[in-house]
Amino acid sequence: MAEVQQQEGQDKGKHKKVRAKKASTHIDMTPMVDLAFLLLTFFILTTTLAKPKTMDITMPVKDEIEDEQRTKVPASQTMSILLTENDRIIWYMGMDDPTQPPETNIADFSVTGANSIHKVLLERNKLVIDLVKMVEDSVAAGLIPNKEEEIKKHKAAVKAAEKRGLIVLIKPDDKSKYKNLVDILDEMIVTNVGRYAIVDLSDSERELIKNASAN
Amino acid sequence: MPKIKIPKKSPSLDMTPMVDLAFLLVTFFMLTTKFRPDEPVVVDQPSSVSEIPLPDQGVIMLTVDKNGRVFFNVEGQQVRRDILERLGKRFNIEFSEEEKKKFSLLSSVGVPSNNLKEYLSATDDQRKAMNLATPGIPTDSLNNELSVWVNAARNAAPRNSIAINGDRDADIPTIKRVIATLQDNKANRFALITNLESE
Repeated sequence: MAEVQQQEGQDKGKHKKVRAKKASTHIDMTPMVDLAFLLLTFFILTTTLAKPKTMDITMPVKDEIEDEQRTKVPASQTMSILLTENDRIIWYMGMDDPTQPPETNIADFSVTGANSIHKVLLERNKLVIDLVKMVEDSVAAGLIPNKEEEIKKHKAAVKAAEKRGLIVLIKPDDKSKYKNLVDILDEMIVTNVGRYAIVDLSDSERELIKNASAN
Repeated sequence: MPKIKIPKKSPSLDMTPMVDLAFLLVTFFMLTTKFRPDEPVVVDQPSSVSEIPLPDQGVIMLTVDKNGRVFFNVEGQQVRRDILERLGKRFNIEFSEEEKKKFSLLSSVGVPSNNLKEYLSATDDQRKAMNLATPGIPTDSLNNELSVWVNAARNAAPRNSIAINGDRDADIPTIKRVIATLQDNKANRFALITNLESE
């Protein structure tokens, strides 16, 4: 880099013409560069570029609805997922009936394990998953414009229109963690379950959990 | 043997391109950085596959830490001031102009109403200690102060969206109470803040 050259000891001949000093055009930029790098390091270290992501959920309006007005859902399509302590899942098909305890199954949050809830959901919701795949196929075939919004719209429409798809009731136990709830909601997105709700546990289901944990 | 003479070269080299780049980067980082005020609680969000980004502004954030303490946060000084005035009316607390100013500059707040005045007049160090000791905003059904907070926020900023920022180890009963409180205040659409899955 350049340095400021100072010319000294040149004033011997006093009677010479006064000339404008030829100053060098170079300036020592080192301090400025030092400062620039200091700032750069500071901003790099303090910036967090990863923005948090969100998951939208819609809860039903809390209103007193008469039992007759409630939407009836077919028991054969209904799956209850009970989230219990230690990341364990208990699930069963059909309705919660205190007089006839349903047959329960145990699952976990792994993706490939033997008891994976992911596998169960993929299997039970095959109908809708196939329909969503068809949407993807028609995108590939050029029937649907390859735009993210368009694809999303079609997928949502398919999921909502298919009345035979799986309906999932998510019932977190008091001992489960928030993480479990988010994980299962995540699983709903991954396995294209269009209809799901977060529901409170009933007494008979608490009993089910107790029995399942005892075994 | 003749000595090998190394030609005398000037040790200086042209640093201009490097400096240009450095300044470019400095400018970029300066413009993209947003300084966040000190968050009183550290929250480790659960991961998910969801890719919807959190809106930049206009979010009413309810933070639930791993001990189940609830904190409230919203951005915007005018909105915060408005919320505090509404809270004051509901809790019958008279807030001074200084306290209102302080509140509008803070971030998450999670103290019961009877400690609120004390919290706002405390020094920064005292406030830090209070943040560690506070039980959070009460959510139990007998004394649901969170409902008052949410109500005030909904009235002060009706267009704001609501997000729950829960720790992965937060307990379900608290989360359920927070959700029920939101439902009570007719806020049926909200977001859960998550991290992008990294596997």
